[in-house]
Order: sequence, then C-alpha cells, then structure tokens
Amino acid sequence: MRTLSRRLFLKVSASAAATLALSKLSTALAWAEGFYREPPWKRKKPYWGFGVDIEKCIGCGRCADACKTENDVPREPFFFRTWVERYAVYKDGQVDVDSPNGGIDGYPALQDPSALAKSFFVPKLCNGCENSPCVQVCPVGATFKTEDGVVLVDKEYCIGCRYCIQACPYGTRYFHPVLKVADKCSMCYHRLKRGLDTACVEVCPTGARLCGDLSDPGSGISKFRENNKVQALKVHMGTEPKLVYKGMDKEVR
Amino acid sequence: MKDIRHLTHVLAAFVLVTGAFLVIRSLVKPHSYGELGRYRADAVDEIKALPFRYAGKAAQPRCGACHKEQFQAKKGSSHRNIGCETCHGALAAHAEKPAGPKPRKPAESEVVAFCLRCHAKDPSKPPRFPTVDPRGHNPDTPCASCHPPHAPKL
Repeated sequence: MRTLSRRLFLKVSASAAATLALSKLSTALAWAEGFYREPPWKRKKPYWGFGVDIEKCIGCGRCADACKTENDVPREPFFFRTWVERYAVYKDGQVDVDSPNGGIDGYPALQDPSALAKSFFVPKLCNGCENSPCVQVCPVGATFKTEDGVVLVDKEYCIGCRYCIQACPYGTRYFHPVLKVADKCSMCYHRLKRGLDTACVEVCPTGARLCGDLSDPGSGISKFRENNKVQALKVHMGTEPKLVYKGMDKEVR
Repeated sequence: MKDIRHLTHVLAAFVLVTGAFLVIRSLVKPHSYGELGRYRADAVDEIKALPFRYAGKAAQPRCGACHKEQFQAKKGSSHRNIGCETCHGALAAHAEKPAGPKPRKPAESEVVAFCLRCHAKDPSKPPRFPTVDPRGHNPDTPCASCHPPHAPKL
C-alpha cells in the first residue's frame, strides 16, 4: 500500500485549493465583464435612445425650427440643439457639407449637380453618449447623465467655462449668449417625462426621426435598431452613442 | 516631553483646517448634490418641469374637435402622418385656450415657398419623395389652388 506522505498531501491539497480559487475567480471576472459589457438599458427602465433614418430625411429643417421654439434656443444662426447638414459627394471625390441656418431656411442650389455622385441630408443632435466626454470634463458637475440615460445641463450650476463644448466630439453643444451657460439637446426631457415625443420627432413630416425607450423591446426605437442596419457616429472614440443612423454614408462625420 | 507640543500644534492645525473645510463645504454645497451622482438631483426635476409648447401628434384628436373639416380631409390623404404643428407651428397654448394664440397659416404670397420647403426638386432628397420643379410647373399659381394642403391629391 502506498502511503501518503505529508509533503504529497500538502502539495495535492494546495493545488486543489488553488484550482478551485482560480475557477471561482474566473467566474467572478466573467460576471463582472458581462455586467460591464451589457448595455445599461437591460437593467434600467426606462432608458432613452434616438434614431435617425437618413433615407427619409428631406432637409426641410422643421426639426431645427421646432427645437428652437420648444427649448428657447436663440434664433441667431449659430445656436442649435439640432440642425440638418447637407452632404454633397462629387464624382471626383470632393465632399461638401453645408448647413445654412441649420437648414431652417432651406439650402442654396448645388453648384454643379451634373458632377454629383450622391447627396443627402443628415440631421445632427446630441448623441447621448454612454461614456460622454462632456460629463467627464465638467469641473463642477453641472452636466450629467440621468438615471434614464439622458445627458443634461444644470443651468443653475454651470459656471460657463465652455470646457464641455470643446470636449463634445460631435459639436452638439453651444454657449448660450443670454444665460451664459453651456446648452445642448436635452432630448426634450420635459416632454419625454410627460409621455410626449421630442419636438423634432413630433414635427418631422417623413418620420425620419424617432425617440423611445431602449429598455422596452417593443418600442419603436428598439424595433428600429433591431430591424435595420444602423451605425453611430465616431464609434472609434469609445463614447458609445445612443443615437443611431440608418443608411449613413462613410463620409458623414 | 517638550517635543509633544510640536505634535499638538500640528494636530490643532489639522483639526482647524478640516473643520473649516467641512463648514465651508456644507455652506456652498447644494443640498441635493450627490443624491443621484455627482450633480444636483434637483436639476433633474427642474428640467422635467419646464413648459412644453408643442402639443404633439397624440393630441391631434383635440384639434379635430374644432377643426373638423381639416381633420377629416387630412385623415385619408398622403399628409395623414404629418402632425398639424409641422405646418401650423407650436400649438399647445392654442389647444389650452383656443381664443389665445392662433395657429400659423402661410399667407397667399408665401404659400408656394412654404410648400416648396418640402416639395421642391432637389438632388439631395430621397428619390421616391414627391417633388416638383417650381419653374416648370405653373410657377405663378399657388399650390393650394389645385392641391388642397390637407388632402393634396396629385
């Protein structure tokens, strides 16, 4: 009969304990990773998201106009919470982008339509980033992401340092000339909370825009993301935007 | 024993500075700061309570209660999915008080430009969207004389 020496016993039991601990650790790590990678709208209800169908946008600019009315955005053509850009891609590879007064008053005729490869309108607004640079840089906590995923500005608490305006990779913030604070698309938070759609969605004549609850699998926005090939802007920046576009060209920035 | 005085001095300074910090912090910190995160929790309620100006598509049956003819005409037309407020402006105040602010109606002289904002021929628009070349198609006639805006038949 083979006797179990003390040395061997200790060796075997120590390795068994180490294996067990490692496997436990890897389960814990896998759980933590899953938690980190899972989109927050799987856990929180509601969680707001936005979608734009570029193939439906006719560039009428009603959204930018309605947004200014709803949210008291100054009428001067430098201040926008949302605006519509016109992209013109020419056959020689040149790309022109313009958005005169955000598209509210229409667009001038293109210089040379015969040289045009393609042209389309792209509405822009706050991308509702999960990892929003604007929230990270605010030195006083005046800009923040709410429990339901909307990035807002606290007008009372903003000191007007403009740091967030520089930080936003999408250029969706502006400095309010009267209030002297940073301002941005609030996804019409006051409307969402009353069960209404955002002002831009309400007035869009072609249904190119939609907002809704990502945590509800039956909501319009969930279906939009599920049934279409959608893309977000500047994904390489790791901001994880909750605004997605359908039918977006690679030239769109 | 004499050396302990150095320590008590440092300790006293530490307590004083910490105390001053806590007092000043409690004075300047808004009371709801930090309740939900690194921001003023009250700001969320303040933004939630802002007034709204667009009544929204869900309120359209209320429009139809008074504007029956237009509501019925729009129902079956190609403009059926367009909200009243897309053309007539923000009307939450009008819906509350019909005698108050009146809906926007484009003047006879601007109606062509108004329709063309959406329907002018433009290579940037989606190909299936109905557009018209404003110079080639009855340039001097207001659109509405052939295409009533609430039921624009082609």
